[in-house]
Amino acid sequence: MTDERDEAVRAWSRRQFLATAGLGGAALAFLAACGSSGGSSAGTTTTAGGTTTTGAGTTTSTSTGTTVPETSGDSMRFLNWPLYIEGDDASTSPTLTGFTEANKIKVDYRPEIDGNDSFFTKYEPLLKAGKGIDADIVVLTSWLCSRMIKAGYVQELNATTFPNKASIVDRLANPTWDPGRKFSIPWATGQTGIAYNKDKVDGPITSIADILNPKYKNRVTLLDEWRDSVGLFMLEMGTSPETGSVADALKAIEMIKQYRDKGQFRKITGNGYAEDLALGDVWIALAWSGDIANLKKDNPSLEFILPPKGAMSFTDNAMIPIKAGNKKGAELLLNYVYDPKVAGPLYESIVYVPPVKGAIEAMTAEGKANTFINPTDLTLLHDFRDLTAAEDEEISRAFVAATQQ
Amino acid sequence: MAAASDARPARWYIPWILLAPGLLWLILFFVVPLIQLGRLSLDGGLSNYTTVFSDNAEVILRTFTFAAIATVACIALGYPLAYVIAIRGGRYKNALLALVVLPFFTTYLIRTLAWKILLYDGGPVVGLLRFLHVLGANDSLLSTNWAVIGALTYNFLPFMVLPIYVSLEKVDRRLLEAGPDLYASGWRTFRKVTLPLSIPGVFAGSLLTFIPASGDFVNAELLGGDGQTMIGNIIERNFGKEFFRPELSALSFVLMAIILVGVLIYARLLGTEELV
Repeated sequence: MTDERDEAVRAWSRRQFLATAGLGGAALAFLAACGSSGGSSAGTTTTAGGTTTTGAGTTTSTSTGTTVPETSGDSMRFLNWPLYIEGDDASTSPTLTGFTEANKIKVDYRPEIDGNDSFFTKYEPLLKAGKGIDADIVVLTSWLCSRMIKAGYVQELNATTFPNKASIVDRLANPTWDPGRKFSIPWATGQTGIAYNKDKVDGPITSIADILNPKYKNRVTLLDEWRDSVGLFMLEMGTSPETGSVADALKAIEMIKQYRDKGQFRKITGNGYAEDLALGDVWIALAWSGDIANLKKDNPSLEFILPPKGAMSFTDNAMIPIKAGNKKGAELLLNYVYDPKVAGPLYESIVYVPPVKGAIEAMTAEGKANTFINPTDLTLLHDFRDLTAAEDEEISRAFVAATQQ
Repeated sequence: MAAASDARPARWYIPWILLAPGLLWLILFFVVPLIQLGRLSLDGGLSNYTTVFSDNAEVILRTFTFAAIATVACIALGYPLAYVIAIRGGRYKNALLALVVLPFFTTYLIRTLAWKILLYDGGPVVGLLRFLHVLGANDSLLSTNWAVIGALTYNFLPFMVLPIYVSLEKVDRRLLEAGPDLYASGWRTFRKVTLPLSIPGVFAGSLLTFIPASGDFVNAELLGGDGQTMIGNIIERNFGKEFFRPELSALSFVLMAIILVGVLIYARLLGTEELV
């Protein structure tokens, strides 16, 4: 019965426009009437709701910690992006099976997050209503983490159950949007640079200027995550995605539009570029390092470079949503992964830069030498600065107009 | 007398009971979301509708051009096919029909992805066309209008063939024989007898092809490039951004309105009275 209801609640939440339709109130009332979600979370006594739950985790642990431990079960649910755990399979992943063995907590691991926007669209109505989303860990890109923390949709990490939190690499330890990493912890970081097929182009591609060469007309793709595309063009123009103004971003978009009108870009894509690059129809692509590291296994003619004027980096961070059924389990899992002996083999296997101190040292010689895992020049990497909602909208709109319409 | 007393008066609620499941289903999953979409599209005022037109004029025009060409191509390919199966199929009729439907045993997505493998630069089709000098050494088929319109035609062809087949199948053969009996040529018999009688099938097939083709985004996403963006792609890529939703909802209504008007004009052109 409860399960059916939960299904109904979830199905309803997928009707994305509800909460924003001006019918938000009615919809939320409906959700509220549907009762508690998540069998495991039903047992907790947390009463915080809505937007003030950020401290809920710690409050619960102090008030009930002595009698009822924070953990309420021997299982937990983990929502992640594809290719972020060994083999994408909980039953064979050494990290997850090792964790289950050590802590007797089964992990329901779901590599089902395929976009920040789509994740937020799907779950925001529930979070806004102060409901849980039936997940103990979610992994999202920094800009969305920033927004979720501000809205109070996630819980503070408990340092007592997560002592290894101190092992976070310095570069990622203090983002402006989460000083001291109170609410989020990096899961994986990668780089956005240029991938190209060396069999198709004349000589190595080394910069954004190279990809704009007319002889590669209609053979180049851009990324539709505008922070990546616009950031790279800003760096090419000598402005900074970290400190630059909206006007700087708009100038970069203007430049993109100018070359789009000349037919330079074959497509503006999400993950789809990988396929076209592998088929050989696309010769040069703005690309994510992890994709290329994986593609290279079957396509040795692919190269990945960071432009000397600077490249973008992205960080996907683990967070514990409000009303998580097994917050302590989530912290124990993160603590387990933040052990360099666990992180080393994990990040070597998934080919991402580890956010954990000492992880690279725990890798094989091959792993240490892989620049996808151990980039030679971290100073080239830039993050897009935390934007206000209005700035975000202005740049987003300009980018869509310049690249799609 | 006896017959009249046997026929009990129908109870008033019977039709309602029969209607209820479908009606409820449609109210819950069609009318309610439609109303919400309508309200959302007005969030921020009617100006959403004007912005939609000014921002997406090119995409809107392209979408309906693609859908219209694909529909015409489906008629051109599908009518002769349906004709042969219905009129000349004989004992192979069912087998031929099964062949038409066979591709539907695999999913839409796989069929479209398979086109990608057929049409990519290193694939057989481009190889042949380059050999014949139809395509230059650096020309592609993927990311062109050809690829997207071709795949739309392919994916919706059975929806055209089946209704035309059904309408041709129903045609009284004696009418077809009457044509030559009255000294009409084969072509004239077709034009004056067969074609008019099969128009309802063409109309139904056109609706089943044109409407989904207008709203499609899969073909343009997988096989098209920057120059093949359709309305569906704009909605699919941007609906996740909250501030875009009112405009995208308006865009959905524009799509719906244009389809409706197009269908009404088409129905008028073909003569509606026998169609409904």
